[in-house]
Amino acid sequence: MAKFVGNNDKGSDSRFFTTQKKGEMHELRMELHSTDRNVKVDAVKKVIASMTVGKDVSMLFTDVLNCVQTGNIELKKLVYLYLINYAKTQPELTLLAVNTFVKDASDANPLIRALAVRTMGCIRVDRITEYLCEPLSRALRDEDPYVRKTAAVCVAKLYDIAPELVAERGFLEILHDLISDSNPSVVANGVAALSEIAETSGKDVMKISASVLQKLLAALNECTEWGQVFILDSLAKYTPADGREAEGIIERVTPRLQHANSAVVMSAVKVILSYMELMGSQNSDVIRALTRKLAPPLVTLLNSEPEIQYVALRNINLIVQKRPTILEQEIKVFFCKYNDPIYVKMEKLEIIIKLVSEKNIDQVLLELKEYATEVDVDFVRKAVSAIGRCAVKLERAAERCIGVLLELIQTKVNYVVQESVIVIKDIFRRYPNRYESIIATLCDNLDTLDEPLAKASMIWIIGEYAERIDNADELLDTFLETFEEEDPAVQLQLLSATVKCFLKNPEDTQDMVQRVLDLATEESDNPDLRDRGFIYWRLLSTDPEAAKMVVLGDKPVIEDDTFKLDPSLLNVLIGQIATLSSVYHKPPESFVVRRGAGETNEFDDDDDDDDDEDYEGGGEGEVDLLDMGGLGIADGAGGAQSKERQVPLQKVCGPEKSGGLEISAGFTQRKRKIRLEIEINNISSATEVASLAIQLNKNSFSLSPASQQIVCNPPVAKGSTGRTFCELVINANMMAPPPAAGQPVSPQVQIAIKNMTSGTVFYFAVNCNFEALFSADGAMERSAFIESWKSIDDRSELYGTVSDLPPGAADIESVQKKFLQNNVFFIARRPVPGAEGQEVVYFSMRTVSEMEFLAELTFKQGVNACKVCLKTENTAYGLLAKQALESLLRY
Amino acid sequence: MISEFFVLSPRGDTIIAKQYRNDRGDVGAHERSHTEAFFRKVKFWSDATNEEEYEELQDDDKAEDGARLKRKGDAPPVFLMPDGMVYVHVKRNGLIFCCTTARNVSPNTVIELLASIARIFKDYCGTLSEEALRKNFILCYELLDEMIDYGYPQVTRTENLKSFVYNEPILVEHVVNTGNLVNPKTASASAVHKPVISSVNENGRKSNVNANQKNEIFVDILERLNVLFSNNGYVLNSTIDGCIQMKSYLAGNPELRLALNEDLVIGRNNAGSYGSVVVDDMNFNDCVNLAEFESARTLSFIPPDGEFVVLNYRVTGEFPTPFRIFPSIEEVEPKKLEVVILIRGEMPANHFGANVTVEMPMPRCTAAASCNVISSPGSGYANAEYVAHEGKLVWTMKKFPGGTEQTMRAKVTLNQPCTTQMRREIGPINMTFEIPMYNVSSLNVRYLRVAEAMVGYTPYRWVRYVTQSSSYVCRL
Repeated sequence: MAKFVGNNDKGSDSRFFTTQKKGEMHELRMELHSTDRNVKVDAVKKVIASMTVGKDVSMLFTDVLNCVQTGNIELKKLVYLYLINYAKTQPELTLLAVNTFVKDASDANPLIRALAVRTMGCIRVDRITEYLCEPLSRALRDEDPYVRKTAAVCVAKLYDIAPELVAERGFLEILHDLISDSNPSVVANGVAALSEIAETSGKDVMKISASVLQKLLAALNECTEWGQVFILDSLAKYTPADGREAEGIIERVTPRLQHANSAVVMSAVKVILSYMELMGSQNSDVIRALTRKLAPPLVTLLNSEPEIQYVALRNINLIVQKRPTILEQEIKVFFCKYNDPIYVKMEKLEIIIKLVSEKNIDQVLLELKEYATEVDVDFVRKAVSAIGRCAVKLERAAERCIGVLLELIQTKVNYVVQESVIVIKDIFRRYPNRYESIIATLCDNLDTLDEPLAKASMIWIIGEYAERIDNADELLDTFLETFEEEDPAVQLQLLSATVKCFLKNPEDTQDMVQRVLDLATEESDNPDLRDRGFIYWRLLSTDPEAAKMVVLGDKPVIEDDTFKLDPSLLNVLIGQIATLSSVYHKPPESFVVRRGAGETNEFDDDDDDDDDEDYEGGGEGEVDLLDMGGLGIADGAGGAQSKERQVPLQKVCGPEKSGGLEISAGFTQRKRKIRLEIEINNISSATEVASLAIQLNKNSFSLSPASQQIVCNPPVAKGSTGRTFCELVINANMMAPPPAAGQPVSPQVQIAIKNMTSGTVFYFAVNCNFEALFSADGAMERSAFIESWKSIDDRSELYGTVSDLPPGAADIESVQKKFLQNNVFFIARRPVPGAEGQEVVYFSMRTVSEMEFLAELTFKQGVNACKVCLKTENTAYGLLAKQALESLLRY
Repeated sequence: MISEFFVLSPRGDTIIAKQYRNDRGDVGAHERSHTEAFFRKVKFWSDATNEEEYEELQDDDKAEDGARLKRKGDAPPVFLMPDGMVYVHVKRNGLIFCCTTARNVSPNTVIELLASIARIFKDYCGTLSEEALRKNFILCYELLDEMIDYGYPQVTRTENLKSFVYNEPILVEHVVNTGNLVNPKTASASAVHKPVISSVNENGRKSNVNANQKNEIFVDILERLNVLFSNNGYVLNSTIDGCIQMKSYLAGNPELRLALNEDLVIGRNNAGSYGSVVVDDMNFNDCVNLAEFESARTLSFIPPDGEFVVLNYRVTGEFPTPFRIFPSIEEVEPKKLEVVILIRGEMPANHFGANVTVEMPMPRCTAAASCNVISSPGSGYANAEYVAHEGKLVWTMKKFPGGTEQTMRAKVTLNQPCTTQMRREIGPINMTFEIPMYNVSSLNVRYLRVAEAMVGYTPYRWVRYVTQSSSYVCRL
């Protein structure tokens, strides 16, 4: 363990690292009991040195504790340092120190008072905590600001150990009062503590009012750089009442952009960006002015240390997606420097691609070409790929980009060629039938290709343009020789390409296609390959013309993927600027460990994986159910249950399919968020179910999970039942194809769940309770209702009668109330002329996907039934809406 | 906020570790397995995408590919480890300063905090090295206690920390750090390696800080140049990162006034009159009072103890580059190249570039190269050679006077006939240098004085201008 031996250790602390003789612990113990203060101090130093290098010194607890009663502040600090680290191991003994703590907390020296409070808060022993409240309460009102500021943080510590004590003692209120403290450091720590408690509890304990806001803004100018960060971060969470207020705050925040500390600058940028969002479009002049102000500080961040640059670049990546105008003129600053670390270079490239335009493309191409000759392989590949992405993005520059790629292919550098082939495939998919002239050059380099992705891309190109390549069949044939050893991706492409080739030129390739189909269906144990082989086989044997239509049909043109973060995710991340979330480009839930949610957290630390996704391999989509859709938004709404209607859950999956779990599920809406409620009954799975990953198939409602991860808290052990939920968002990409005309849509939502603990994946379908999708903003003007009602053709009306309603359910008032809770809005009611005791009531509802439904309900006094008539433009969903109303009535 | 702070030595040993929150559950304070895992990750950084490859290669035991995955460049400063904690680190003088966190914190805050901690350790220990920290670890713990509470940064101003510190620093001999930015040749006098508080020497004897303390203040106007030339000498891209740094040992901490050029213009769009000094952007230290900045370009501040940056600035407009590079490569025979690099010093003749190094990568198939330097009078010792293991021509000059031209000729012999691909492997030319007492932006300090004149108070003021290359590259 003796890791360090200094040359001249006498008198220096480093000698504490060196003594490692046999009876060392005994020796230390003796020294700790020494009457000589200096020996004692040195002994404690040795103990702490051992602790630092990774040696267990907990057995000296009593001995160190004995030193606590001392007037020597140096020794006291050392003992406290030890106590904080080992109190947990000896809770009973720690109590012996309580008296000293309590005494110190009323010492005349403010440093000692603060030290005592600070240390007590760090000792997570219940009985110590009991003794903490009194001194803490005094310290919060101490005359010395140093003690007050320490006490403010201590409240956050206490909240972590015993939130109920904080509430009981009214510490939150005192903390709130500290925002008005005369000392800016106290204000800053008060804000920090309140923000933390707000985050942990999910409650708005900060409560920023107009007066609090003024105090925060005033403190902003006076407190330390860290205090400014705390205050700015809490301002970013505040929603200004109107544009004027937002503008006022921005005005006070803007000078922070000039701060030397990048943390202050980033937090100020975050406040301004969030408020810009709120100001909307009516203030376009103000927004333009702000946009101009934001550019210089952001660029300046790029001149800091590389670590700061990296974080800044990850944030700028988001900012240019949200507000491209801010940095559109600044592309030059993102050009890589010779001595930038590789992680900075990679991020700069990403931003260059985002900022490239027809104006600067020539300059950018020159740069990228230069990068493609550097030494770092990953960087070179990314540069080559960037050239391709420029071509996909800018139609008018595509030709120049291809020119550069061809030039690079001429260098014959293995990885440059391979990467070029991969991006050229993308260019072909973006601009079909335009640049085939370069295929010849590509074919010259076939033998350099040894990576699966490059090979697969090349084979795709050969198959797709088989008719233009004289010896396409021969080329494919060379690949076929090693078919069995190839990567599955290459095998799949070979299969498709050969079939394409056959369909274009049946005479010469009959044998070859037969051989490939044999290889795929009989020799391979890859199910994807076999399935695809069988499909082709059947297609070709039953109807070659149909096969042509399927295989050679037009493929969808790929899109420029530069701005590919989902807009809803982007909005979430913009709110998270200057946090780790903005570095990962993932919502915080996906990586922040929730307290008590189990210690394992599935997360692949490849922070780039959103960017690296490639286009789908060939024309044929391979559907991996767990890989559909994208990331969605979510914010960590607490799981507080209100007294809203409990949705009856449907049993959807039996234990035989899911490795011993019985799953019930149903859709519901809470706090304006659509949720999938899941009940897990662990019948026979030996491992606890702690976390699940979820994915939805395309469905009629465009539903997609906000976060793919579901945490079961507490974990569901064998024989028990647990309930959890998954928030859902609307994602237009998840829309299933519409049903045939006149047919109602399927209410089914297909779901795949992966049990992260056991690795089992299972599939099931849940019928969607349509009422869960009704939007809380769906209320309609009366006049608009009449208008729509008239405009919808009577033929698309849906009728039905609900009878045998539960007693009281036919009372119009209660129906109205019940409906309102479920976002079905009352429009009007009137008695039916000429029919005594009958009344019609009109309701409207709108789903979160903006579909409107109008309903007319007829009740008759004394009859436990109701007639429902529903009108909508979205006839395919009419039936579902009607069923939703009926089930609401029955409930 | 942050859960734990630790400092690792270049070999991965923990020098200092302090836990602020027990987000890692109830493990002993001495438990070090996570810092070891972290160190391995930093040392052998590879992307997650390469991880599989890594394992595969280990299985296959392909020796020649082993070299490729040895290091894939530096680890990014922020990453998540499998234990669910995010590790944020910076490297200073070979030491790794790291924080872990379990929350969605501001990474900028953590990085800035780590930089502040490193700075303060240096201020208090005199130097920042493994030895210095080990010798002063109790002092460092004391400082950490005050700098961070429950993971929240608190006091990080050197002078504000003084009143909380009871231990005295133990000095270690300052070792010249070659990895440092500032060239040791012109590095500050030994005075700047003094701790800010009184210290004890190795034998435990106390040195009185006041007795030999001069009343002095060091001011550095430091400009780092990023310039990119095309092969015909045109400037493609150029920026100056400048800052004014100070280290104050003034007794009584008086308020200072620092005046900059009166014609200083901030912001590219507010173009000033001809000849005025234009900077794109400027930012200031917390302590700076800008009341008179708009009107008189004067800053007033009470200098904090220790080293601090008064202001940073950035210039992107055109500025006179101190050196211009004119390369030429000729294929004299199929297997022979003649490389000529001509560099013209364009700064005034009374200035010179010091410790100039010019590097030029050569193709892999280079067999040998003989170099010949043609120096003009006034320049110091110069040498040029082909360094085979780096595959580079390296040309060093002790002194490069302004207004002169220096030329290096190299005859390069190749193993194979030259192809265009080989031509691509040549370059770019990278130049490093330092120009003392010269700055490119012509931003200058008009005066630095104590705000309220006191009789008999005469501080020594050391004002120094330095221009350094940050990235000074010529493409071929």
